[in-house]
Amino acid sequence: MKAADAGQPVIETRGLTKHFGRVRALDGLDLSVGRGEVHGFLGPNGAGKSTTIRVLLGLARATAGEARVFGRDPWREASALHRRIATIPGDVALWPNLSGGETIDLLVRLRGGDATSAAYRSRRAELIDAFQFDPTKRARSYSKGNRQKVALIAAFAHPAELYVFDEPTSGLDPLMESVFTRQVGRIAADGGTVLLSSHILSEVEKLCTRISIVRAGRVVESGTLTELRHLTRTSFSFERAGAGGAMLTDAQLAGIPGVHDLALAEGRVSFTVDSDAVAGVLPALGALGVQGLQVAPPSLEELFLRHYGDVVPPAEAA
Amino acid sequence: MFGTLLRFRLRRDRWQLAVWAVVHFLLAYLVVSAVHTTYGTAVERANTVKVMMVTPAILLFRGTPQGTSAGDFMALLGLTFIAVLVAFQSTFLVVRNTRAEEALGQTETIAATAAGRWAPSLAVIALGVIANVIAMIAVAIGCLAGGLPTGGSWLFGAALGAVGLTFVGVAFLLAQLFPAGRSANGWAAALVLAAYVVRGLGDATGTPHLATATLTPAWPIWASPIGWAQRTLPWSPHARVWPLLLGVAAFVVLTAAALVIQDRRDVGAGVFAERRGRAAASTVLRGPIGLALRLQRGVLIGWITAVVAGALLLGGLSGVMVDQLQTAGAGVINALDEIGGGGGSSGSLLQAFVNVGAIFSALLASAICVQGAMRLRQEEAAGGTDAVLSTAAGRMRWMLSFVVVAGVGAVLALVLGGLVAGAVAGDKGGGFATWFWAVVWEAPAVLVFLGIVALVFAVLPNATIAVGWTVFGLAAIFGLFGPLFGLPQWARDLAPFAHTPAIALPHPDFTGGWAMALIAIALVVASLVLFRLRDTKPGA
Repeated sequence: MKAADAGQPVIETRGLTKHFGRVRALDGLDLSVGRGEVHGFLGPNGAGKSTTIRVLLGLARATAGEARVFGRDPWREASALHRRIATIPGDVALWPNLSGGETIDLLVRLRGGDATSAAYRSRRAELIDAFQFDPTKRARSYSKGNRQKVALIAAFAHPAELYVFDEPTSGLDPLMESVFTRQVGRIAADGGTVLLSSHILSEVEKLCTRISIVRAGRVVESGTLTELRHLTRTSFSFERAGAGGAMLTDAQLAGIPGVHDLALAEGRVSFTVDSDAVAGVLPALGALGVQGLQVAPPSLEELFLRHYGDVVPPAEAA
Repeated sequence: MFGTLLRFRLRRDRWQLAVWAVVHFLLAYLVVSAVHTTYGTAVERANTVKVMMVTPAILLFRGTPQGTSAGDFMALLGLTFIAVLVAFQSTFLVVRNTRAEEALGQTETIAATAAGRWAPSLAVIALGVIANVIAMIAVAIGCLAGGLPTGGSWLFGAALGAVGLTFVGVAFLLAQLFPAGRSANGWAAALVLAAYVVRGLGDATGTPHLATATLTPAWPIWASPIGWAQRTLPWSPHARVWPLLLGVAAFVVLTAAALVIQDRRDVGAGVFAERRGRAAASTVLRGPIGLALRLQRGVLIGWITAVVAGALLLGGLSGVMVDQLQTAGAGVINALDEIGGGGGSSGSLLQAFVNVGAIFSALLASAICVQGAMRLRQEEAAGGTDAVLSTAAGRMRWMLSFVVVAGVGAVLALVLGGLVAGAVAGDKGGGFATWFWAVVWEAPAVLVFLGIVALVFAVLPNATIAVGWTVFGLAAIFGLFGPLFGLPQWARDLAPFAHTPAIALPHPDFTGGWAMALIAIALVVASLVLFRLRDTKPGA
């Protein structure tokens, strides 16, 4: 790590805009990823995640706005920057007649790594073992999951300062996903920065320290998971039958402070509460002696849906 | 089901079919017209054909002398070349619609529907049959438009259609054997060229009958589907239809064999199992150059082998030719000059022949350049370019690697070809230095092809493949038929080969050669600069 870089964001874009003919893939996207962050880059298909990544890698040139990676221009200084970056593309493209092992070595060498160094050989062997990967098969005969493994092993086998992952676990089985999770944990512990583009919310929830949500080419929300959770509500539910079997009355339920979306179904009461008002609700519930209480923090899914509005119930948006 | 699949294929290939039909028509029409203009009278034709009959080297590239009518000349000069094109149309069509799709997983998508195992293949074969019926009609109409007799024109068209049909079977069988579309295409191309050369050996070693201006080819003619087409003798009084049936029979047998194999193998698998690869990369595969070399290895080996094999034949024949022509008169030499591309200049027969040999080698070598530059686009479309550019290798280095590998490969092919042709020809066949330098001086013109296609890639990436094949096709037609067409000088000057110094002539002019070299360099530099200005565009 270079001292000059300390303090400044690893990735920073301001008003990033990219047009393809009349399509606005990016429409003033502001993104900031600090050093050491595992930054979740969330959004549905077509939101502009991959286009952003292509600009950050110097594969596409921004129509307007500014992009900086390690404080430098990713278009002009692509090769120099790429020595410090490991990537997993959204569509892993392999050369059909190269074996998986050859491809991994080639990609690492192209990044400036030494494929004969002992450190690399042992890391590579470890990863091949962990991902249960056969490096001698030709790339054309690999399944989707195995193609993904080639890119994953190549990215993890040689250390980088920044890791740019575009939907890295697509095609992987849950076992392999957990191997991926461990590897991200390892690089984060080593001080690496990660930009993780995904639409698998549980993965982002598990791995990321900060999150940016993209919609229609702009970042609509950015912050830590805790910060974002404050923007939504916690949901409560319990049985309508109280401790002695007596039903709680409507009047009793109405006495609970800060309740939204009150609903009764299958003998259970459910409602939501603004996340900063949760502390006020608990004494009231204690006084009522509720049974089978379940409290769920807002899931990332709810956060996400909030920004892709159509499916969210109107009460939530009110 | 079969109908749906066939309509789908027809729809997808409609532009290719249309373009090929126009090419077949134009080529037939242009060659007939050239025959009329260059050899307008029966006397001229009789003189020319007699020279050719004793000149195996010419017969090797053309066909079987079968008489002195304009139609007979069309069969002699045009049949084998159009046959090669028809065959390529068939092999590309079949592989594109079978193995290339299978390698991409599209076959599996279709196989998972109610289409079943047979209907998709039968639809492709039906498409191949339709394509060749269209080719037959296009060629026949081209001949008719050129004023040739009706019966012979249709027999000529049908003979070429039968060649195409045979290669539908060949390609379909190859598609079963190899797991990658590229391998199937490569082997198909090798077999098409082999069919051309084998029939050429039959013609070159045949027995001439000077009185009737006919020639009985030796047995190798029967070992080639193109040879079967020649043996129909269209427009000759001895024309017959039955050799066509050999082509049709071969098509049926090959297709049946392929269907049997297909019925026994898994979708996605080949008969030749995928060999295991290395677990780790060798030291060669360490950067963009290593990658470019690895990816173009097959193309390089294939075309370099073709150049060397061609040089062996040409060099060998040049000696034989001199023996057989000891008795030929001076008037004969002028006629040959025109076929050979000497342009009616003062060059001797041998010099004209060296010139043809050099152009032929250059044509094969320029295939390396054209395919090498097209590879840039194929890599970009497949996503390989993005993978490399996402590493520390810059755009310049990536692009230059592919260009350098193709350029060096082409020059190497010419150097080896020149060495072999010169060594085999010896003093009797024109001399080592003449052959060597004549072939090697084609390098600047060959490299211009690399520059043109690279520039198209940099500016209009989506057009790279179409332009690449078009440029190559035009070069082939003009290289082999240019002098025959009697084009105006400015049109001839458009062809890079036209500026190659004529080493075989007494005072070769090197200006054109150096100019071509500078143009090639300028084109490559421009393409490198322009590629840096654009986004990469993965996907078709």
